[in-house]
Amino acid sequence: MKILIIEDEKELSENIAAYLKSENYVCEFAATYHDAITKTGIYDYDCILLDLMLPDGDGLKILEELRKENKQDGVIIISAKDAIEDKITGLKLGADDYLPKPFHLSELGARIYSIIRRKHFGSSNSIQVNELHVDLLAKTASVRNRLVQLTKREFDLLLFLLGNRNKTISKAALAEHLSGDMADMLDNYDFVYSHIKNLKKKLMEAGCNDYIKTTYGMGYKWET
Amino acid sequence: MNRLLNKTLLYYSFFATVILLLSAPFIYWTMEKLYRDDVDEAILLRRDEFETNNRKLLHISDIPVWNQFNRDTRILPDTVKSSPKDSIIQQIFYDALVPEWEPYRVLYKDVAIEGKPFVLMIRLNLVESDDLIRTIAWIYIGILFALLLVIFFITRFVSNRLWKPFYDTLHKIELFNIELHSLPEFSETKITEFSQLNNRLAKLIQHSLQSYDTQKAFTQNASHELQTPLAIFQSKLDLLLQDNSLRKEQVIILHSLYESVSRLTRINKNLLLLAKIENNQFAELTSFTVNDIVKEVIPYFTEQAESKKLAIEMDLKSVVSLNANKVLAEIMINNLLLNAIRHNIENGKIIVKLEANSLSIANTGLGKALDSHTIFERFKKNSADARSSGLGLAIAKEICDRNSWEIQYSFEAPLHLFIIHF
Repeated sequence: MKILIIEDEKELSENIAAYLKSENYVCEFAATYHDAITKTGIYDYDCILLDLMLPDGDGLKILEELRKENKQDGVIIISAKDAIEDKITGLKLGADDYLPKPFHLSELGARIYSIIRRKHFGSSNSIQVNELHVDLLAKTASVRNRLVQLTKREFDLLLFLLGNRNKTISKAALAEHLSGDMADMLDNYDFVYSHIKNLKKKLMEAGCNDYIKTTYGMGYKWET
Repeated sequence: MNRLLNKTLLYYSFFATVILLLSAPFIYWTMEKLYRDDVDEAILLRRDEFETNNRKLLHISDIPVWNQFNRDTRILPDTVKSSPKDSIIQQIFYDALVPEWEPYRVLYKDVAIEGKPFVLMIRLNLVESDDLIRTIAWIYIGILFALLLVIFFITRFVSNRLWKPFYDTLHKIELFNIELHSLPEFSETKITEFSQLNNRLAKLIQHSLQSYDTQKAFTQNASHELQTPLAIFQSKLDLLLQDNSLRKEQVIILHSLYESVSRLTRINKNLLLLAKIENNQFAELTSFTVNDIVKEVIPYFTEQAESKKLAIEMDLKSVVSLNANKVLAEIMINNLLLNAIRHNIENGKIIVKLEANSLSIANTGLGKALDSHTIFERFKKNSADARSSGLGLAIAKEICDRNSWEIQYSFEAPLHLFIIHF
């Protein structure tokens, strides 16, 4: 899987690349508008991370250019502006997702995973992890054809963990992922623990191996 | 508060009255003297007339007849000794006709009629001082009234003309709104002071506008600039967490770093939000009901509420419809609900109530009232809660102000109550 990171902040793009490297993702960088246009013109990427504020141009122009050439690369806008208008314009121009800075790398990982799956597997979009089968369209999970009854939150949590396989995810990232727009309102992260506990219990009762590991109660990891 | 014109009129009227009252005794005295002198002169004239025309022709036998027809120029027997002679004095006589005691100017003079000594008495009635005072008083009241009337019209005319530029300026300043960003245009005036005032005001307003813009831009720029380092910080933490050789203590430190960075992020986002509200970046208006918003957001808070075992009571019988920016209304309600949860106690409760045109959110918490003056100020935290950004209520207030809603805090033990009147 090839990913292009269009971001002028070198430090940040390197961090992203370091996080994604172990997922079989190959990351390339473009730090300027010019650079980005050249690269997107020549190559196809599975996913493009696009910063809107580039030193020599507007990131939205790159998006326009991509869509004009009818390229189907998945695009996630990562922006420091977090302006509603930007988000709307970006999504209208054909971006697949919008992630305001600052974000958790695990959140980014999960979103990249989701976009790539959607682009590549279309209608038969499902994930098979050993004995666990997750149907992304029906939003169901089953272990050896036995349906696991999960709440919406638990299903979200499962997807998030699967999107960051073998990565430790901080409790903060999970809490913020689960509360979505309400993330700013979080008072404590305790509820993450109870959701994890329930998910673990349900999966194991269905006969699934215990893949969810905790790191001193501070972080969680899907280990396969 | 008094209007400038009224104040001027009041002063003029007061001083006019005082001056008139003070001058009244003087006028009285002058008029009385003038009149007395006149009367005295008439008496002397009559005396001379008597001397030249009557005395020589008069016989002693005529005296009773003379006295009968001349009430004020009488010839008396020589027996009158008591009164001084040859000088005019003031005496009171009883007037049987009126009937009253009346003041008279009187002259007694020795005269010889047919060689025999007699006393000539000439007297003239003076106006009673009562009458005089009354007349003067009436004249004065008339003058005063006329004067006040004239003062009133002149002052009004002059003031209105003179102060016109001033009132014009005042009106324009009243209409000035720093957020609308329109510099008021003052009309030209030929009066130095007013023109000076207008110039200074125009400069002052321009300065305020500039600092207002700079401040607004600063907050927004600073918040934007902070996003990138925050993003790097956060991503470094995420990378660090992947290190499998971390010991428990290190993970705990890492976790507290996560909390700090998310608090930083929260403060930054809220500052940015405030700046955006101030910059009118939420201008889009839609119609919605508060009921819907409350129903939409409540589920997000139940998890938070459960961990404190809070009971949330809702009374959403009344329907409150608004035409405003929905995003802002949601943010405001979120902030208030979060506030009610954050500052609550274990096993406490929250009461959300919608009434005709008002939303109230009450919660248990600290057993004493909070300072209602500072509670809505930025970074005025009433609790040591590290997770609070100190901006939630400031944002709620700003949103209320923008929409001309009124937000009030009160404490009715044991409930802290926030009411918004839409």
